[in-house]
Amino acid sequence: MDTYRSLSKQEWEKALTQLLNHYHIYAPLAWGENQDYERIDEDSVADIIYNRPKPASPLKTFFLPVKENVINTEKSDKKRIILGIPSCDLSGANILDEIYLDDVFVDPAYKKNRDESILIGSDCHTLQEHCHCTTYGIRPYPEENHDLTLSLVEDTIFMHINSDKGEQLVREIGNITQLSEPTENEIQEILDKRKAVEEELNRRNRDLPNYNATGDLINSSGDEIWKKYSETCVSCGACATICPTCTCFLLLERPGFEKVRHLDACQYPGFEKVAAGEDPLKELYKRFRNRYMCKYVWKPEKFESTACTGCGRCIEACIGNISKNELFMELYNK
Amino acid sequence: MKGNNIYKPVKAKVREVIDESPTIKSFVLEPERKFYFKTGQFIEVALDGIGEAPFTPSSSPLIAEQLEVTVMKTGHVTEKMHQMQGGETVGIRGPFGRGYPLEKLYGKEVLIIGGGCGFAPLRSLLYNLEAEKEKIKKVTFCYGSKNPKECIYEPYIQKLRNINEFEVMRTVDDADETWTEEVGVATVLLDKVDVNINESVAVVVGPPIMMKFSVQKLEEMGYPDKKIYLSMEKNMSCAVGKCGHCMMGEYFVCKDGPVFRYDEIKDKPDIWK
Repeated sequence: MDTYRSLSKQEWEKALTQLLNHYHIYAPLAWGENQDYERIDEDSVADIIYNRPKPASPLKTFFLPVKENVINTEKSDKKRIILGIPSCDLSGANILDEIYLDDVFVDPAYKKNRDESILIGSDCHTLQEHCHCTTYGIRPYPEENHDLTLSLVEDTIFMHINSDKGEQLVREIGNITQLSEPTENEIQEILDKRKAVEEELNRRNRDLPNYNATGDLINSSGDEIWKKYSETCVSCGACATICPTCTCFLLLERPGFEKVRHLDACQYPGFEKVAAGEDPLKELYKRFRNRYMCKYVWKPEKFESTACTGCGRCIEACIGNISKNELFMELYNK
Repeated sequence: MKGNNIYKPVKAKVREVIDESPTIKSFVLEPERKFYFKTGQFIEVALDGIGEAPFTPSSSPLIAEQLEVTVMKTGHVTEKMHQMQGGETVGIRGPFGRGYPLEKLYGKEVLIIGGGCGFAPLRSLLYNLEAEKEKIKKVTFCYGSKNPKECIYEPYIQKLRNINEFEVMRTVDDADETWTEEVGVATVLLDKVDVNINESVAVVVGPPIMMKFSVQKLEEMGYPDKKIYLSMEKNMSCAVGKCGHCMMGEYFVCKDGPVFRYDEIKDKPDIWK
């Protein structure tokens, strides 16, 4: 399925407008320097931004919305196409799948949301300040969990087909408008862009540790570093909320034995408290450390996939200016 | 469980509410279809529109038509449960997790230490061992409670005492004039037990502080960590290893436990909290 197709941006927008009849389409729209996934309509098709990382919300918000009834999981009226997904978020879906689609218990709401999504990944042509995916071995272009990859070069949209779903969608687009096969030179241009961005990432983050090997560092750290770095933490939970791989939730009862899932975070007081009163995470610094232990020590012991993708959103979201990269540098250099 | 919605409960009628102590009640539940569980596995009981909480059934795992949970009034859901009179419909999900390792108890002298409402899951185990008593050498059950009024399942204690292979020892923290057994925390009973440790496996269930000191005592007595089993109480909300509330190190207590061998968990953080 190593296949590229191309079309002009104008024709692509025409095709998207037609696809709106059959799909809900979500894509990044920008405000100033920032951007986020928005539901696209005819008027906003032309405002979609391409190949610029990264939407404020992680991809997980499509699979694990902030609030969702987990008993009523009927099919949606339309499937949805999600455009502009950066590679870090696509890789982040691995751990979500391992947890929510495990061998014993398949989560029906998650499965439905996952199955009903066509994922269009996006090559990153630029970088944000805290992007550091390569320290996790993730490249700044989609390699997994996606149906199509999309690159806009000058005024041409290039699509790379990565799955049956992707092939089907390209066929539908081909029914709307004429598709071309890109030339070798054009493909080379896409690959050159990828290489340049990857090199830039490596250069920028050369002092950061290899994050796939930091578990021992954390496991053997004393309390001091956690107390130091959590000094400005206010337990707001923004780091976990915005994290593409934090997946904890609360189940709340609704009449009729229904259940509503609300996303939750170990950063909030009382997260592990039991009715009898015991609370292993009563102290703030322990909650703060818990998230790191979970990502770098416990999840790697239990799952194959990494529980952090180097997207840097937790650093950007922290009102206490806590940088996980600074914390690791300090641990690493001790 | 594949194919079913893992969050959807089976309805069950509350057939009987039994006062066990001033703070503990048992609820006899009749599910709308047969409900099978292994001793030590837990279920989630949902009160419609109110909340859901995990309990390990206190009834015999050999009976599928009815099951029983014994509940201490400690939180939001259990308080509402204590207001039930019988006749209500609740939801039950499960069974979940890993129960007591019966096959490891066969042929052994089983030392069981229970504290307070920790007797509830242990009664299920005792029922099971009672039914299979030819498979075990003997059972020594040590039970500790706050005071005589909080000692639950009195009739069952008397019944067990009439079975040759079963020995029951009890203690209370605060005795009154009616109390004729031991006084002190549960570990005082361990000074008096007569077990061949090399032939023995221990099971401990109770409040965290009681489990902590019981395990210390068992280690002093010479029990290897691999011969000590504990049932851990954590905030098991989803019960299917997803919500994250019951994580203990890399374990999801709901899925990997709630029964653990002590050596599996001894190095995990804050296990007694």
